[in-house]
This record gives sequence, structure tokens and C-alpha cells, in this order.
Amino acid sequence: MKMFRTLLFLSLISLLTLSGCKDDTPTKSSVVAATYKDLNADYAPLVLNPAGPPTRPAQKNKYTFFNFATGAIIANTDSATTKWDIGFRSTSIIFNSGTSGPGAAGVIVQKDIFDGVTVVPTAGYTTDNYNKVTKTGTFAISTSPFVDGVTTTTNNWWLNSGTSTSTIITPIAGRVFLIKTADGKYAKMEILSYYKGAPAVVNNLTDLDRYYTFRYVYQGDGTTKLN
Amino acid sequence: MRKTFVRYGLAVLLLWWPKIFSFAQSTKPDSIKTEQLEEVVVTATRNERTMGALPMPVTLISKAQIKTMGSLRLNDVLTEQTGLVVVPQVNGLGNGIQMQGFNPDYTLILMDGEPIIGRYTGSLELSRLTVGNIKQIEIVKGPSSSLYGSDALAGVINIITERPTGKSGSFSSRYGTNNTLDLTSDLSLANQKVGVYVFANRYSTDGFDLSPENFGKTVSPFVNYTFGTKVTFKVNNSLDVSLAGRLFNEVQDYNYDVSSNGKSTRSVGDGRVKDWNFNPVLTYRLSSRAKATARLYTTRYTTNSIYTLLKTSGADSTSTIDSFTQTFTRPEVNFEYFFNEKHISTIGAGQTLESVSTPRYGDEKKNQQTFYGFVQHEWLPIKELTLIGGVRFDKNTIYGSQLSPKLSARFQPSDVISFKGSFGVGFKSPDFRQLYLNFFNQAGGGYSVLGSEVVKEKLSQFEALGQIRSYLFDPALIGKLNAETSTAINLGLHADFSRKLKMDFNLFRNDVNNLIEYQVVALTTSNQNIYSYRNIKRAVMQGLEANFVFAYNHRFSSSIGYQLLFAKDKNVDESIDKGEIFWRDPITLVTQRLKSSEYFGLYNRSRHLGNFKVMYHNKDKGIEGSVRVIYRGKFGLGGIDGNIQGETVPPSDRNGNGIQDSYDSFVKGYALVNVSLAKQLRQLRVQGGIDNLFNYTDPVNISNLQGRILYLSLNFKFVKSTNN
Repeated sequence: MKMFRTLLFLSLISLLTLSGCKDDTPTKSSVVAATYKDLNADYAPLVLNPAGPPTRPAQKNKYTFFNFATGAIIANTDSATTKWDIGFRSTSIIFNSGTSGPGAAGVIVQKDIFDGVTVVPTAGYTTDNYNKVTKTGTFAISTSPFVDGVTTTTNNWWLNSGTSTSTIITPIAGRVFLIKTADGKYAKMEILSYYKGAPAVVNNLTDLDRYYTFRYVYQGDGTTKLN
Repeated sequence: MRKTFVRYGLAVLLLWWPKIFSFAQSTKPDSIKTEQLEEVVVTATRNERTMGALPMPVTLISKAQIKTMGSLRLNDVLTEQTGLVVVPQVNGLGNGIQMQGFNPDYTLILMDGEPIIGRYTGSLELSRLTVGNIKQIEIVKGPSSSLYGSDALAGVINIITERPTGKSGSFSSRYGTNNTLDLTSDLSLANQKVGVYVFANRYSTDGFDLSPENFGKTVSPFVNYTFGTKVTFKVNNSLDVSLAGRLFNEVQDYNYDVSSNGKSTRSVGDGRVKDWNFNPVLTYRLSSRAKATARLYTTRYTTNSIYTLLKTSGADSTSTIDSFTQTFTRPEVNFEYFFNEKHISTIGAGQTLESVSTPRYGDEKKNQQTFYGFVQHEWLPIKELTLIGGVRFDKNTIYGSQLSPKLSARFQPSDVISFKGSFGVGFKSPDFRQLYLNFFNQAGGGYSVLGSEVVKEKLSQFEALGQIRSYLFDPALIGKLNAETSTAINLGLHADFSRKLKMDFNLFRNDVNNLIEYQVVALTTSNQNIYSYRNIKRAVMQGLEANFVFAYNHRFSSSIGYQLLFAKDKNVDESIDKGEIFWRDPITLVTQRLKSSEYFGLYNRSRHLGNFKVMYHNKDKGIEGSVRVIYRGKFGLGGIDGNIQGETVPPSDRNGNGIQDSYDSFVKGYALVNVSLAKQLRQLRVQGGIDNLFNYTDPVNISNLQGRILYLSLNFKFVKSTNN
């Protein structure tokens, strides 16, 4: 009986210690979970063009760069550095590696629920290999919409929930980007909206497009555990 | 009277050549024959057969029913039938018919057995067709490509027009809401040898406007004229000649704001539609057992629209002329042989020559030809059983050959109950858009859409100019289109309880393959998409149709119709099973996996359709009346190209999966109530009615649903003699 009590006491102690350990685990400080709202990916107003499609004369044709570790926008002048991990311009998304930058970044598109992804693999990340001169090769993430029954690739991130003449760009639900950052750390992200303020119902006459809202989890300790 | 007619056995009922069943004729007075004529349909077998004896689902709408409804145009009639929905065309306007869940271009619309052309935007505009000269409308559900070839995939709607009978004539006028005036007149002169029928109709309306805050009307004012004629000539006892023709002309004002990506431009102009057809038919009775028919059908459809885009800031206005001309010619011979009461064969062959020319498809005329042959055999092994088997072979210059079989059976173990079953394969050839479209979108983002017959040439031109950035698809597979096909089963049960209560049930399933969709095939160097068409999608459309007719007494009757439909994309179904489809709550932005039960199905399809009608007919007092309730259940909206009057149609998909699921928004279900009352005063019939009594409208989502319509009509009819 006494023996039992001691055991019980010991196990309670150890339980407390273990849970305490969990709380003090270093991952707490190295994991960043955040939502970035309204990242401007080269928004410019549409101007009607009598000779052709509407244009955006004010657009800069520059990517907006983002760093997962700091959660900050990186100046476009730093495009040749490893300061940025991912870049956004209109519907194109690039990663800092391959033909897009000097870093070691890459991506895996996984059909899953964001919270369900707790560990990411160490290999299998695709990089951009589009050649601007020969105009060949592909990006890791496609700029084109996913069309059900039509698209055979898995690297599309959006679909058109409007019409062919009145596009509404909707991020596909359940596309989790498993990401390797420019400096070889791991993260996951999910794009939530392409319109400013992430409106529940998009009105493409009044809502401003090219504004990304996305959530991400970044692991700063170099491990693949994301919780 | 009708009961005797049913009991007389199938052999008698199946044939309608006066010579063959002269024995039946001699035993019955003339009035019975008239009764029988009302029940005879031709669409299901291409020969005159009594409705009840047919082994496939057939609906017949008689002239009397059309009159009771007070309808003017074909869409008014079809919208009240079980399982049919009048839906807008791809541009968000107009009226096409959805049958067993299929889009309008999958139902073949015939007039006296010959196709009506002019599917400018894919589906046929049903309001082009006046009901004034319609004798009856026959609707066959399930594929009928075994007899009619392409487009008879969901089914066939055959409009049977009046034939010359005796000396009679009529004049009708109807005036109602929106300044809508319909004037119809016809005249029939016939003796034993020669018959002439002429018909004229003028229809004009101010159109209607569901959103007055926007420039222009939802449907602009238009006026149209229809002329029809049919001449029959009995050369001798074995040879009949008939000539039929139709002429249609319509002018409509165009005042719209053309809108895209948030910018709108005012546009004014007019649109003109013309069509005509001519159909000589020779019928030769080789013997009392054999009949041969030769026909040469020619038709032409033209539409011209001129619209001017007005600029607000002093820039030059630009005028656009859009035109479209389609021709269709079809010589055909067929031969019917009556072996005995148990075996009847039909065999036929023909050729279809089609052409289309429009600036949208390039300047030169595009032609295609189809050769075809078909054979059908009807076999009645025992009194209770009818079997019909048929097959048709089509060979087309573009989409190749197509074999369409059909097998159907009817079993009637007792007077009360009969069972029907049919299995068939239907197909639809790629339409002109899918083949020849050469379209660069000016307003919507600068994309191109290229038909499968032009895409290769255009891509190589772009390639030579260095404008192609990348192919998103293996170029070797671009530019070949096959026909869309469907394999369908219909299983029916008919129960008839001594004329008081009639019940019909039909279970249907259509497995549709090779559905054509546009797909991005390449990207230009300026990052614009180039689309072409491919056979990609697969769908399944299945459900149940039920109809009940209950006669309270000889004056009051009521009917209930219902259709349950599950229309689903098979690719989506498979992805859901693999756990690859999700939905994201648009407010909390939390994503979850979609369950199979949460997938609602294809856009624009309602799971539930229904109608409830009460009819009153007092023959003694010449009074008839009706109350009809037409219900359409909730549905999702997607894939509507173009905006109506500058308004954005909010897409139903709001949760990031591109499909209609139970968490998306829906266009809510609605019921329309139509009432009518008529009184016959000698030769004059006075009718008043209200369609859409409670003035239900949904301007953004259902643009073809106008509000309450009040009307009054007068019909004057004289009959001097009837000669058959």
C-alpha cells in the first residue's frame, strides 16, 4: 500500500515535471505562428483601354518579398540576397532559389488541413527554374488557375470563382505550402485571401485585388517540427 | 371510350396507316378516331404510335393544354412541365431548356421531325417559337441519338405543327403587361385531294426591366413575325406530297452597359434575327405493308447585330457589327415495313450538310457533313410485351464516327400496371464555338479562346512571332475533339386506376463522358492565357420523375409532378473520396475537409422541381380555368459568363473549392403561381390570366424571370367543315 502511494506520488511528480518540461521546451521561442494581413502584391488600379484589355499603368512589375523569421517585408532592392524567402506579384509567387534567387528556398504543395501538418519533410522541395531569357521552364507555384477536371498539375494555388470575363481569384481551400526558407529553415503557410481586408464575399468591382492574407508557422531552430 | 382503345391490343394501336388497320376503323365511329389521334405520337419511333404503347418516357402536350395555359411562346409551355427548367443561355439572357439536368444544348428541338437551328450561343432561343400553329408538343426523355443523331442526348422535343383539315380559320389576339401584343391568324382549306394551311403571327413587347437603376432593360423591346404554311397533296392512293415552310423575322433594340472587370461602357444598337425553312416530303405506300418517305429539309438562320460603344470622355465611339449565319440541309429517305402484327422495321439513311459563317470564326465559311443510316425494329412477341431496338451510325467530317444504339421494352401484365425500360447511347457533336472560335477578349483581360479546328494554326503563328511563353499542356494533344457521349437508363412504372388516378414513375441515370470544357493550353509572353477546348469532364445525372393525375369528377382534375435530381461531376466525386477537396469558412478562414454528402452537385441544377395544377373544365357552360404552381428548388450559380446590365453576379462558391457544396450560397427556391380563366361564347373564346401572380423576381440571379403578367385574349374560330 505504501509502495503504491510512493509510486503514485512519483508518477505524479514525474508527470508534473514532464509537463513542465513541455512548457519550457525551446521550440516555444523558435516557433512563430502568425497571420499576415494585406500584403500588397503590386496592386494598381485598372484603366480601360479601348484598343485591348484593361491595363494597370501604375503597376511596378516588382515582387513584394517576405521573410518568415522576422515576418517583415524585405525591400525589392534586396532581391539578390537571401534576406527574403518568398515573393508575391499579382498571382505569381516565387521562392528564393533556383532561377529566382540565391537562397535555398523551396516548396511542397500539400492537399491538407493547415493545423494537421505538424512535421514537414526534409527533402522533395521544388524550386523555380524558369529561364527569363529562353522563356522556358516552370515556377514551383503556377500562376494559372486550377480548373477542376482540367488541371493536371498540383502546384496551382487559386481558382476562379467568378466567370471567365469577371475573374474572382480565390485561394484553393486545403492547399498547404510546406516551405524551406532561403536559409534552410522550415515553415508552412496557407493563403487565405487575395483581396484587401479578406472580405467574406468578394465584389471584384469594389474590392482591391493583389492583397494577400496568409497564415504561417515558422520553425526557427532548424528542425522540421512545426508545433 | 379511351379504355376500349387501350384494350384493343398493341398491334392495332401501333399502326396508324388507314389501310392496314381498316378492320379497326370500320368498327369504330369517327369520334373515336379523333380521340385516338390526340394520343398518337411520332417522335419516339419516327412513326405514328399510340402514346401508351411506347416503352420510353414520353410526354405529350396537347393544343388544348397550351390554350388553357394561355401561352404564347414555347418557353411558356415547357416551363410548366415536370422536370423541365427554362434556364438562361451562357450570356445570362434568353431561354433554353434543361432536361434531366442537362444544359439546353443537349436537347434536340425539332419541328415536324426536323431540327431547328440557330444555336448562336450554344442553346436555342425558345422564345423564337410561337405556339399559335402547334398541334401538339412531344417530349421524349433519355437519349434518342439512335433515331436523330447528334444533340439528342438528354432527349428530344418535337413540335408538331397544324396540318390542313377541312375549312376552318381562326384569329387570336392577346394583350398584356409590358405592352405585349400577340396577333395570330390561321386558315385551313382542304378537300380529299388538296390541303392548304397558312399561318401568321406578330408578337411585340416592350420587354421588361428588373433593375431600373441600370441603363437599358433586362430584355429590350422587340417585335417578331412568323409565317408558316403547309400544303398537302394526295396524288393518288399511294402517293402523298407535302410542302411545309416557315419564315421568322425579329428586330430587337440593344441598350446595354457592357461591363467587365469593374468598368462599364454604354452600348446602343439593334439585333436582327431571321430564319426560314422549307421541307418537302414525299410519302409513298408501296403496298399495304410498306411505306417509303423521302424528305429534303433546308433551313437557314441569320443574326446581325450592330452596336456602338459610346465613350464618356469624348473619345471616338466604336461600332461593332456581329453577324452569324448558319445553314442546314438534309436529304433523307426512310422505309417502314410491316411484316405482321408482331414485327415492324424502319430503316433510313441521309446526309446532313451544315455551314456557319461569322466574323468571330474568321472570314471564310466553315462546312461540315454527316452521313448517317439507322435501323429500328419493333417486336411484340406476346400481347403483353413490346420490344424496340434501334441503332444509328453517323460519320462526320470533323468528329469522326459515332454509333448510337437504343433498346427499350414495355411489359404490361395487367390493365392497371405497365413497366417500361430503355437503354440508350446519345451523343452531341462539338458545337461551332468549340470548333472554330477565334476570339481575343478586348475587355476581360486579354485572353484568347481558340476552337479546336483553329488552335494549332494559331499557336504556330504565335510561336513564330515569339509570343508563346510556355505550353501548359502537351501541344500534341491540343486540337482534337470528340463528340460528347452519354449512356442512359430509364426505368418506368405506369399505373392507371380506372381513369380516376394515374401515376407515372421514371428512374433515370445518365453517365456522361467526354464533356467539352475550355482549358488553358498556353501562356503568352505578356502572361495572358490562351484557352482551347478539350474533352475533359465526366458527369452523372440521375434521379426520379413522378407524375400523378387525379380526376375528382368530369370537371375538376389535378396533377402533381416532381423531379428529384442528383447532377454531379464525377471528377469531383473522386477527389472527395480521395480527401482532396476542402472548404474554407469565408469568415473564420478555417479550412475543413469536404464530405461526400456535402457536395451539392453541378451549378444551376435544383435537386427538387415540382408542379401542382388544378384544372376546371365545364363543357356545358364553356368555362375552363386553371391554377398552376411551378416550383424550382434551390440551386447554385456558377459559370454564367458575362454580367447582366452591369451587375456582378455573385458566385455561389464562397469557400475556395470551386464547387457547389452545402456551405456555399444558393439561389433560393421559389414557386410561381399562374392562373387563367376562359369562357367560350359560341365562336368566340375570351380568356384572362395572370402569370407569376405574386410577382416573384430575382433580378441578379434569375434574369429571365419577369414579374407579374396580366393578360386578356380573344380567340375567334370558324369551322365550315371537317373532312377528316
